[in-house]
Amino acid sequence: MSHIHIPDGVLPVWLWLSGWVIAAALIWFASTRSRGADVRRKVPLVGIISALVLVSMSSEIVPIAYHINLTVVAGVLLGPQLAIVSAFVVQVVLALLGHGGVTVIGLNTLMTMAEMLLGWALFRAFVRVLGRTRVRAASGIATVVTLAITTTLLVGLVAASGVTGATARETGALDPQNLTFASPFSEGVVGVGLFSGGEKATAPAVGLKRFATIVYTLGPVGWLIEALVTAAILGYVARVRPSLIFEGPLAPTERILPGDELGVH
Amino acid sequence: MDVAVLDRSAVSGRSHLHLAAPRAKLLAFALLLASIVVTTNLFVVLALLLVLLALVAAERLPARSMLPLAAYPAIFAAVFAFASAPDALAAALIVAKAVTAALAAVTLMFTTPYPQVFAAVQRVTPGLVGDALLMTYRAIFILADKLADLTRAIRLRAGIAGTHPVRSAKATTRALGGLLLYSVDLAQREYDVLVLRGYSGRLKVAEHPSRSPITDRMLVAGALALLGVATVWRIYWIGLIDYSWMLPALALLGLGATFLFRGRKR
Repeated sequence: MSHIHIPDGVLPVWLWLSGWVIAAALIWFASTRSRGADVRRKVPLVGIISALVLVSMSSEIVPIAYHINLTVVAGVLLGPQLAIVSAFVVQVVLALLGHGGVTVIGLNTLMTMAEMLLGWALFRAFVRVLGRTRVRAASGIATVVTLAITTTLLVGLVAASGVTGATARETGALDPQNLTFASPFSEGVVGVGLFSGGEKATAPAVGLKRFATIVYTLGPVGWLIEALVTAAILGYVARVRPSLIFEGPLAPTERILPGDELGVH
Repeated sequence: MDVAVLDRSAVSGRSHLHLAAPRAKLLAFALLLASIVVTTNLFVVLALLLVLLALVAAERLPARSMLPLAAYPAIFAAVFAFASAPDALAAALIVAKAVTAALAAVTLMFTTPYPQVFAAVQRVTPGLVGDALLMTYRAIFILADKLADLTRAIRLRAGIAGTHPVRSAKATTRALGGLLLYSVDLAQREYDVLVLRGYSGRLKVAEHPSRSPITDRMLVAGALALLGVATVWRIYWIGLIDYSWMLPALALLGLGATFLFRGRKR
């Protein structure tokens, strides 16, 4: 769940503004710590890994509304400092391509950031426990646990906002006095059942329960697919270029000529 | 995601929107987004969507490439709406907001070269973020091409076949792994090239001046008018609710007139 798929104008202003403020503070923190030449050398890597995440996000698995994210792969390859920057970059490009939403870039950045950082930390922890020879297992478990946690974060976010479909219409930028929504259809202009009702917000807990049920039902299928893909990719990279995974993104660059990945002459 | 079409349209397009200053387009985009955020009336959102469609039609932008991109978030918004909306009206509002905001963003990107859009973002973000943003967008083209080549190569070697799902999955993930390694090597080479060309930690993009100040003014004025309508409908909703249908009806007339005018011009 690398980002919340909630469009602009649904979440309350205080929430998405807080997302922007927290994300900006974290990006500023990561950037001020990244002024050395070593980090500058890695800027193209941030760009390319972010692009890889974006390319993978462009194919959607329609029945479960899920797309591959590769956020754990990005976290493992970039490390925490650069992952923060990458998360923001990915969300800005996504929003400009119409996927996501501009007002929720801050919250989406925090979600992606959480996924990359958790993925990185859990992967390292599991590799330490299982050993370097079991990279696939470590990355698979790390991905499933990470996605379960970030999905819970998403549900928590929706719960904290008090916004479900029932109250989505009641929140926004202006005066709370006019927050009630009236449907002209319900007054009999086109009085069909499809458009009837809904003038007053009903109990938000009902919507949240349904939302959580659906997310936790469809989510695990996506977690599993993501875990398999992540495990296969990281397993392959660990075999042919282990320094990328084990020495961290800011380690001195290992120069390998293209086509010589296996070191066979 | 066919970014090549997007870039071709942004760079080589000849519409009025292409002539407008990037700053004016970004301001109009922000105002339109504010309208979407402010409104809680489905009819107002539909009117905004129809106005955008009329603009796309009038400017003869590549709608066949733009509309699927704008419709993509509808799938995710529909899942959210289905999961939480109490009735069809609320669900339709959520989906309409997603599609309208996406179409606004896509229209901006199809009429403005990406360095010009990111130049504005660069001004308010740290150097590292601005540079990464520019490099990311450029890399999408390279990686999308490379992925297509890799997939074709695997297919030619019969690595992707419906009858052998396990073999196909292995071949695909190997291709993705290969793409990742290619990306890392590319990043190294890109840094070397940047240093040779004098890169010292900040890519600078010069902003294009406006080629049609009148278009700039009309664009911003139009977006302000839309925000005004959305705000008035939000504040005085009790009195205006019965007239809400008029907004999409007017916008639909505008869309029809655009098509009629286009047909006659041809």
